[in-house]
Amino acid sequence: MGPADPVVVIEGLTKRYGEFTALDDLSISLNRGQILGFIGPNGAGKTTTIKILVGQLRPTSGTARIAGADCVRDAAKIKWLVGYMPDTFGGYENMRVREYLDFFGAAYKIARPQRQSRIDEVMEIAGATYMRDRYLESLSHGMKQRVAIARTLLHDPEVLILDEPANGLDPQARIEMRAILLRLAEAGKTLIVTSHILPELSRICDTVAIMSHGRLRAFGTLKEIMQTVSQQRSIEVQLVSANRIAAAAELIQQQLSAHEEVTRSPAEATIRFRTAQSEEQLAQILALLIAAGIPVVQFRELQSDLEDTFLSITREPDEPPLADEEESRTAGPRSDAPVGNAAEVG
Amino acid sequence: MSNPVLEREFIGILRTRRAFAMQVGAAMTFAILILLRWPSDGQVDLSGIQAQQMFQLFGYGLTAVIVLFVPAFPATTLVRERRQGTLALLLNSPLEPYRIYWGKLAGVLGFVSLPVLMSLPAAMACYAMGGLSLQHDLLALYSVMAIACLQYAALGLWVGSLARTADSSLRITYGLVFFMTIVVLGPYQFFQGKPWEWLVTASLWLRSVSPLPALMEIFGHRDAGSGGLMSPTGNLMRYAITAGIITAGFALHTLLRLTPKIFDRARSPGVITEDRSKAQQWFRRFVFLVDPQRRSGLIGPWTNPVMVKEFRSRRFGRSSWMLRLIALCAVTSLGLTYTSTAGTMDWGVETIGGMMVVLQVTLIILLIPGLAAGLISSERETGSWTLLQMTPLSTSQILRGKLLSVTWTVSLILLATLPGYLVMVAIEPALTRQIYYVLACLLLMAVFAVVFSAAVGSFFRQAAPATVTAYASLVALCGGTMLVWLGRDSTFDHSTVESLLAFNPMAAALAIMEVPGFARYQLFPQAWWFISAAIAVSLVTLASQTWRLSRPR
Ligand SMILES: Nc1ncnc2c1ncn2[C@@H]1O[C@H](COP(=O)(O)OP(=O)(O)OP(=O)(O)O)[C@@H](O)[C@H]1O
Ligand SMILES: [Mg+2]
Repeated sequence: MGPADPVVVIEGLTKRYGEFTALDDLSISLNRGQILGFIGPNGAGKTTTIKILVGQLRPTSGTARIAGADCVRDAAKIKWLVGYMPDTFGGYENMRVREYLDFFGAAYKIARPQRQSRIDEVMEIAGATYMRDRYLESLSHGMKQRVAIARTLLHDPEVLILDEPANGLDPQARIEMRAILLRLAEAGKTLIVTSHILPELSRICDTVAIMSHGRLRAFGTLKEIMQTVSQQRSIEVQLVSANRIAAAAELIQQQLSAHEEVTRSPAEATIRFRTAQSEEQLAQILALLIAAGIPVVQFRELQSDLEDTFLSITREPDEPPLADEEESRTAGPRSDAPVGNAAEVG
Repeated sequence: MSNPVLEREFIGILRTRRAFAMQVGAAMTFAILILLRWPSDGQVDLSGIQAQQMFQLFGYGLTAVIVLFVPAFPATTLVRERRQGTLALLLNSPLEPYRIYWGKLAGVLGFVSLPVLMSLPAAMACYAMGGLSLQHDLLALYSVMAIACLQYAALGLWVGSLARTADSSLRITYGLVFFMTIVVLGPYQFFQGKPWEWLVTASLWLRSVSPLPALMEIFGHRDAGSGGLMSPTGNLMRYAITAGIITAGFALHTLLRLTPKIFDRARSPGVITEDRSKAQQWFRRFVFLVDPQRRSGLIGPWTNPVMVKEFRSRRFGRSSWMLRLIALCAVTSLGLTYTSTAGTMDWGVETIGGMMVVLQVTLIILLIPGLAAGLISSERETGSWTLLQMTPLSTSQILRGKLLSVTWTVSLILLATLPGYLVMVAIEPALTRQIYYVLACLLLMAVFAVVFSAAVGSFFRQAAPATVTAYASLVALCGGTMLVWLGRDSTFDHSTVESLLAFNPMAAALAIMEVPGFARYQLFPQAWWFISAAIAVSLVTLASQTWRLSRPR
């Protein structure tokens, strides 16, 4: 296969546990040197997908191939091609970091003369050199993550599959982790990295796959995804006081379609709503408010951020939206996305 | 006042499948014991001898059940809570430590009282046969049992509050139970009838740490092993006092440890000898023959990496510890043999040989389940099993490395006990052949223990229950069949005892050694067939289970 061919190809991958479908017809492909951000809330099916990729789980149907090797039939080849970091550390008691890496080095049949230099090398990459003589159980969570990365790199795999490498890391350590991942991608590795949080990975991923409830909700570059979601805009209307907030909300609601929801926050004297209406229609709404004698201070569009995008994609259509307690709803059975600071709940 | 710990402990334990199996097992054992001896013609002799015999068998059976099963639960409960982090939550809650402790203790006691209750119908059946006194026999027996339960539960909780892992807790607890039940009897055997009065008194009190003297008194076996000397009465009272003091001591110290300080344990930063000063390096080289803090070498090309890993990840697997353990075994075995030759005792070579066999089997049972049952279950518990599966190591390589690591450890320790046998051969060259047979027996026993424990362990997701199950099964095999031996001639006839003992490699070794009481049983070659078959079955089970676990699900 040529260098331009995709390294990871997943087609129609499905995993069922009895009646329950943990993974539903997933198809994606990934090129060499790319970083795929695999994102979704708890129980989305990320770990399930990964376990199938590394040969730990058997898919109910569908296929997955890594560098041409089938994840079910060529399990032995997959072991050499893939470096897998599970969401648990998997340490041994009473072992020092160097001994731990030595064991896995020997397990991957790295000859003794090369092993020492290889261990030094991967500890350097993962920033774990200073821990080499420490006992595993005396390491903090973040330190263990680094050792786990080093272990994953030992046999110089082509594809790295990391299940929540940034989980439990402090902001500084997250930045360092991202730097490590970027360096690996520059070195020609293909990476699949999972996370619960989109912003976490947005800066380093070439491609993002957003999953929820076992289904792929969005796939592509971050820009493409943002564009498809952002056809709806969030508008915030700020009034001088909350005195006439109810009347204003009523008026706005009349201009929107029934499912577009208006929320008001009397404490802030603001009204927020999401709509797919055109600029002209929005101008019309503002004109009506002013004509009704309602004192408007601001009428502006809110930048929809990554969190909003993520939440609006991953939420099931029949799930109720998240809402601030403060905010009372005026009308509309439900909205398509939470508004304002309610989005931070994620 | 309700105690949430108690409720969770008791109800929690009751719900487990393991607990249910235990209940059923206990009830069945007692029923079978009684049925075996129930007079077939519906008539009971008036002298009450039959009832007495049945009562003895029943009493020893009950004791065995309690000694073998009670310590397992308290020994693991605190360690597991600490490792899962739930103990921290409990200690942070407004529950006072004494209520947590009481909840745990009462939970365990409530649970173990169930098999004891299961025994009541059987006890009543004995009583119905006549010849037994409600107060002097039944009540006394149940009092001793109650005290023993309390004593072992407190012991288990105490060890559990100190130990780092569930299996080390189990190992230490069972080691202490063995010490507190059997070993403490030794000094009195030695000192009785000697002129040093205070030593005799001290050893008499030491002896009463064990429930056995009290039991023997109840069963009228008081003079067994006293070498013709009258042994003193009042054992029950003495046991109540000593056990009471010991239990209180354990409880107090455990309570003192039940503060958040229990988590404040410095984890070794792992300073390495190479980083110390030159003087310290020399000093350490001198003090430790094998310095545990020295930087270890890389795994060599011809060794199985899994085996090396097993040794390194075991606390006592490091060479420094192995050396100490081996030295201890060698000294004990030589000491025993020396005692026999120096003629301080009129025990004879057979008795000494018998003691060595029992000590070695004890060593095997104490060491092996802790080592072997966790081979696979502990990897599954921590998630490192997945990592192992991701490496190119084959299932058979993994399994071989794991089994080898245990086999090496055990063989080294057993080898260390050989000098004692050598001395024995030197004294009595006629014994050479017998000793070869005994050694073969012990070897098979060790191999069986390793393979069986590993096979049992491969069915569990967690190391602690795997270890408990393996311990209990092995102890039941070696200790349980001995119960039948205790009832030889009176309760069971010769052929029953003989065929049951053939399942027990320890009994086989004792029979070859011609230890008094075993010499008349012909256990060969059946014993070897049985154990070889058991090894084969365990091995197949282990291999297929490991293979199954390494398939994608
Ligand atoms: N062995 C199993 N049997 C039944 N259901 C399972 C099993 N393993 C996983 N599931 C279910 O499959 C779904 C997907 O699980 P998965 O572990 O892939 O989620 P995830 O995206 O990794 O979530 P998280 O972010 O919490 O790690 C979940 O609903 C889970 O309950
Ligand atoms: Mg997961």
